Parts: sequence; C-alpha cells; structure tokens
Amino acid sequence: MDTLVAQYSCPAIEDTTLDAEQDELLHGPDALSLNFSLPPIAQPSSWLRAMTDDASNPNCPIKIAHGTTTLAFRFKGGIIVCTDSRATQGNWIASQTVKKVIEINNSLLGTMAGGAADCQYWLAYLGMQCRLHELRNKRRITVAAASKILANLVYSYKGMGLSMGTMCAGVTPQEGPALYYVDSDGTRMAGNMFCVGSGQTFAYGVLDAEYRYEMEDEEALELGRRSILAAMHRDAYSGGFINLYHVKEDGWVKHGFSDMNPIFWKTKLEKGEFSNVTADME
Amino acid sequence: MSRRYDSRTTIFSPEGRLYQVEYALEAISHAGTALGILAQDGIVLAAERKVTSKLLEQDTSAEKLYILNDNMITAVAGMTADANILINYARDAAQRYLLTYNTDIPCEQLVRRLCDLKQGYTQKGGLRPFGVSFIYAGWDPQLEFQLYQSNPSGNYGGWKATSVGANNASAQSLLKQDYKEECNLKEACELAVKVLSKTMDSTKLSSEKIEFATVGKTKAGKIYHHLWGAEEIDALLKEHGLAKAEDDENGDS
Amino acid sequence: MEVLLGITGKDYVIIASSKAAMRGPTVLKATDNKTRNLNKNSVMAYSGESGDTVQFAELIQANVQLYSMRNGVALSPPAVSSFVRSELAKSIRSKRPYNVNLLLGGVDPKTGEPSLHWLDYLGTEAKIPYAAHGYAQYYCLSLLDKHHHPDIDLARGLTILRMCSDELKRRLPIDSKGLYVKIVSKEGIKEHVFEDEGQVLPA
Repeated sequence: MDTLVAQYSCPAIEDTTLDAEQDELLHGPDALSLNFSLPPIAQPSSWLRAMTDDASNPNCPIKIAHGTTTLAFRFKGGIIVCTDSRATQGNWIASQTVKKVIEINNSLLGTMAGGAADCQYWLAYLGMQCRLHELRNKRRITVAAASKILANLVYSYKGMGLSMGTMCAGVTPQEGPALYYVDSDGTRMAGNMFCVGSGQTFAYGVLDAEYRYEMEDEEALELGRRSILAAMHRDAYSGGFINLYHVKEDGWVKHGFSDMNPIFWKTKLEKGEFSNVTADME
Repeated sequence: MSRRYDSRTTIFSPEGRLYQVEYALEAISHAGTALGILAQDGIVLAAERKVTSKLLEQDTSAEKLYILNDNMITAVAGMTADANILINYARDAAQRYLLTYNTDIPCEQLVRRLCDLKQGYTQKGGLRPFGVSFIYAGWDPQLEFQLYQSNPSGNYGGWKATSVGANNASAQSLLKQDYKEECNLKEACELAVKVLSKTMDSTKLSSEKIEFATVGKTKAGKIYHHLWGAEEIDALLKEHGLAKAEDDENGDS
Repeated sequence: MEVLLGITGKDYVIIASSKAAMRGPTVLKATDNKTRNLNKNSVMAYSGESGDTVQFAELIQANVQLYSMRNGVALSPPAVSSFVRSELAKSIRSKRPYNVNLLLGGVDPKTGEPSLHWLDYLGTEAKIPYAAHGYAQYYCLSLLDKHHHPDIDLARGLTILRMCSDELKRRLPIDSKGLYVKIVSKEGIKEHVFEDEGQVLPA
C-alpha cells in the first residue's frame, strides 16, 4: 500500500521539459560531462591511482604531465598572472613551451597546474560555459560564478583521480578585479594572492617578501616575473618560458612569453642575485 | 454533454469544472456528519456514526475519529477505505518529520502534505480522487490550537468551527449562529452535541451513534488528545438532556 | 589543525573558527571564514575534508532557507541540528560520504534560549554548553570544564574564548592565524572582531 501511495504522490510536474539552463541549475553544470565516458572498469578511481602513482611505482604505465609553478596576485592596478611553461612526465621533460594560462575571454584568465589534460579539458569546458552564460544573460559572467561552475564540476568528480590546481582571474563591472583559487579537492576561495604547483613555495618566498597592494604596474609585473623565475630556478619541475599577463579594468594584456635563460642571466649579472650560481669557469 | 468530461479526473469540462472532484464531494455529502469547534483552551471533534446494525461489533472499530500523531487528531467524512490510506500516509509523514527534525510536525504542514497527495489525484490520469473530507484538530507551539478542514480537491483552510458530511449546510449555519469566540472547551462540547442532535435523523442520541474527541492542555501544560469512551459520551448527553430515554434501550449486549 | 570552538552563555552563543586555510605545507589564505549563517538565528561552523566542507555547508544552508520559504517559519536551532544530523547519517551510509565536522550555534527567536550542538561526520549529535573540534578539544575542553558556567554574560564568555585562543597559541605547533568569531543572540548574528593580541609563549 505504501508503494501504491508513493507511486502516486510524486510531484505533479514530472516530465516538464526544463530549458537547458534550468536543468543545469538543478543538476549541476555538467550537461556535457554527462556524456563524458569513463573507462569500462569497476573502480575507475582506484584503477587510475594504480596506473598513475609514480611515487610508489616508477614503472607505472601512465605518467601524467605534472609539475608547475603558477601565480596570481591582486594589486592597485589589477591582477598579475604569471606561469612557467614546463610539462614533465615523471623525470622526463615533455615540453618546454606549454601555455598554462587559458584565455577564457578577453577579461577572464584561468591558470593550470596539475594534470595537463584535466586542466586543458575542463578550462576549455569552462570557457564554453562562460560564453553560453554570456549569450543567455546578455552580460559577462562574474569571476565568482565562473569559478563556482568549475568548483562544482570538479567536486562532482571528487575521488575519481582528477588533479588540478587552478586560478580564475578577471575584472567585471560587478566585482572589480577578482581572484579565485579552485582545486580538484573542490576547494574554492577568493583571495589576494595565490601560488600553485610544485614550485609554489619558491614563488611565495619572493612574492610575500616584496608584495604591496600599492605597487605600480611596472613593479608588479617585475615582481610576478621575478617570483616565477625563482621557482623555475629552484624547482626541477618548473622552467621554460615565463608567461606573463596583466588583467586590467578593460581586459587583460599579455606581457610576453619569454625564455627564462636570458632573464635569469640578466638578473644575475646586472643585479648580482643568484650568487650561488658561479658564472666564471675556473 | 458532460459524459465526455466526467469520466476522467484530468479533464476540465467546457464550463471549467472537474466533474470527478464534484462527484467525490457529492459522495461525502451523504456520509455521516462530522464537526469541529475551536475553543480557547482546546478543540472538540464530534461525528455521527452511520452504520448501526445490531449485529455490528461497536467497540472494535473507531469509525470516524483517528489519531494522527501526538499533537493531532482528525475526523473523517466519506469513504472510510479511502480515509485509511490517507491516514496511514499522514501518520507516516508525521513520524518521518519527527525523525528528521526531532520536533512534532507543525499542524498546517501535515495538513498540506495530505492535501498535496489529494491534489495529485485530481490531475493524474486514470485515477479516482479520494472520496474523503477531513477535519483536523491539533496544537503546535507556533500557532497553538488549530482547526483545519480539507476536501477531495486538495483545498484546505483554517476554521473556528466547521462541519462536513450529511446536513453540513444546516450544521454550518447552526455553528455560525451559536459559536462564541471566547468559549471554553466545555461550552464547545455542549455546542457540538446540540448541533449534532439537530442535524442527525434520530432525535435522541446515544454513544452508539456518535463519536467524540477533544484536544486540550493539562494543568501541567502538557497537550493531550482524548477519544471519548461510551460512558463519557453518555454522561455528556445526559447532562444536556439529549440522551435516549431509558425505556427504549435496545436489547443487545 | 583546524580549530572550531563554541561557547554558550545565558542568552548568547559564541562560535569561533580558525582563519587559516591550509593545503599541504602552505597557508593559502589567512582570512578564511569557516562558518555559514543558516537563518537569522543559527550559525554553522565546519571543518574537515576540503571541498566537502563548503559543499555540505551550502547544501544545509540552502535546505534550511528552503524550509523557511515553504513553511513561513524558521526552523529552531535544535530542529536544524536534528536535520543536519539526519543528513550526515544519510551521507555516511552513501557511496561517497561527506567528511565534515560541525558546530551549530543558535538562539531560539521565540524563547531566547541559546543552544550549541556538536556534530561529527559519523552522524553523532550532542547538545552541550561548550564544544570544540580537532586538536582544540585537547587543550580547550579542560579549560572550559573549569571556567564555564551556564549563566555567564557575554564579556565573560569572550574572556574565556581569549583564554582558549591563548592556550592554542601557546601549545599548538601550527599557527591558526587567529579566530573568526560570530555571536548569536536573540537579535540575530553578529560578526565580532577578535583582535590578535600577539605571541603567547609557554612559561
């Protein structure tokens, strides 16, 4: 009898077709991810862990591209976003020219650290959702909303092996310059300064010591560049090119994708820093 | 004309009516009267028992009044079989709420849960609406003593005094005439039996023909509900001179 | 090493949470707020698995507010607590449970009665006069056992909170970057600026 009652006591509106956005609001923003096929294995998460755990098994068959330094900070003139460009698979440098800043639209940037494929795929997906939001609501998505789409998305895959640490930086009329940290645990938080990746500690060391909110643009760009350089120098898994962006009121401006080596030597020789590195051969 | 529209609950007639719902209401208007009166310090529910064959075992079936949970009771008019389903559902809902929130469900919420279920049957295809009206009496800390009535359409409302079932129109007008806002539970009981005595077919009442229940507060401030026993009902009837005369006592027992 | 503290007084509840958001060896943020207001008269503080905490807190917040919209009455703090417990009990028996520990403080808007509830991820619930989660339990509960009384006023409550905060600074090996404090009273929820009074060293 209970089942009989239950059968007829479900909500009266049941097969009303919701439009795509309502549906997303109700079921999470993964209209696309619903079709995202998982490997045909009973426990994908533990399988993936076994196949990719480089630390416990150096011969593991899948080596995920890892190791990065990325940073972003808010200051008077907007937001500085800076990254290295190295991708490593275990001890192997897979690429020295990776673009770790994803240009979501002309005022929103995302950074990638962690699994390169995960970051690339989901930030591209985020770009799509942001564009759809813009088309549907006739205005730019806020950084808060964009970062929450990503956070909810990765949270729905929690425990299944996603590995990403990203930042969303942007300027919108509603929020001004805004910076969010989102990682694959599902953590999402707003802040003034984040460094993410295997080289984060090195970057923090330089950045924290000289960071002031009242910096001028040039100072801020230089601090971003120098902090990443510090990490690229000390962290084996970071290196390659320095990718530098400045997010301003009217959108972001790119300040080069420059080889770290000339910058490193210039810093050493002109400023006398990195004194542990000897230039002359005896 | 109506033939095309009255066999399904889901379809409006051209005049904008739902015949099945109206037929259900009609069915109820033939059922024994039930009424409820809200007093300052409690609520009384009273109902007429229709079936009184001499062969029917009287005390094995409470036919019109039911306990929903610790703070609510209800009177039924209509098809008892349908009512059983709904009462079971209500008891289940009340216990589920208690399990989740560790507080008794607020009266109106429970009424609404039932009415949502009833409403579903006026809209889903191929089903017959529940042929029952309820009068609910209850207490919660927010709104204290409350009296509600609901019908097969899923509509409900809060009342000071109300009635359903046979002769409910005349019962309603009697209540309107004699109801006093500041009455106490005792006066409300008196009004209840007086109204019943006028609306029921037989002039003399007895505990076999009516059921009686009250919700109130003990001196210690605890809420109680009480379904009256035969002796209590007879005593009340006697007090107001409405009891059946001793000599036409029926011979069963 | 997240710190959650709760203290009730005669007509208020204090809820405090550490301001540090830590990930691995890094403090990502030193002004983190690990609380959510559920309605006008109840606050929830949370700690546990990152990601789970905020998701669960916002789920509860949304459901408590939905209840108010549907029924036109706010849930009382004990009813909220009971509801949260039932959600946690459901969660622990699911495929992927929420790993969240909570303190729930509130003042009944009708009776003015303060209440504090301690809940853990297993679905344990207890109504108690003072509470803590994590390592704070080991240092602060003994202190609260000694100094807490049910009828203390707000000033005394804050003094006791200061004693707790000092002890944590003195003995915990990791700095939790100060406390974020909220006070619930019959009038509603107020943020309270809990000044950092500098280093506290063991004798």
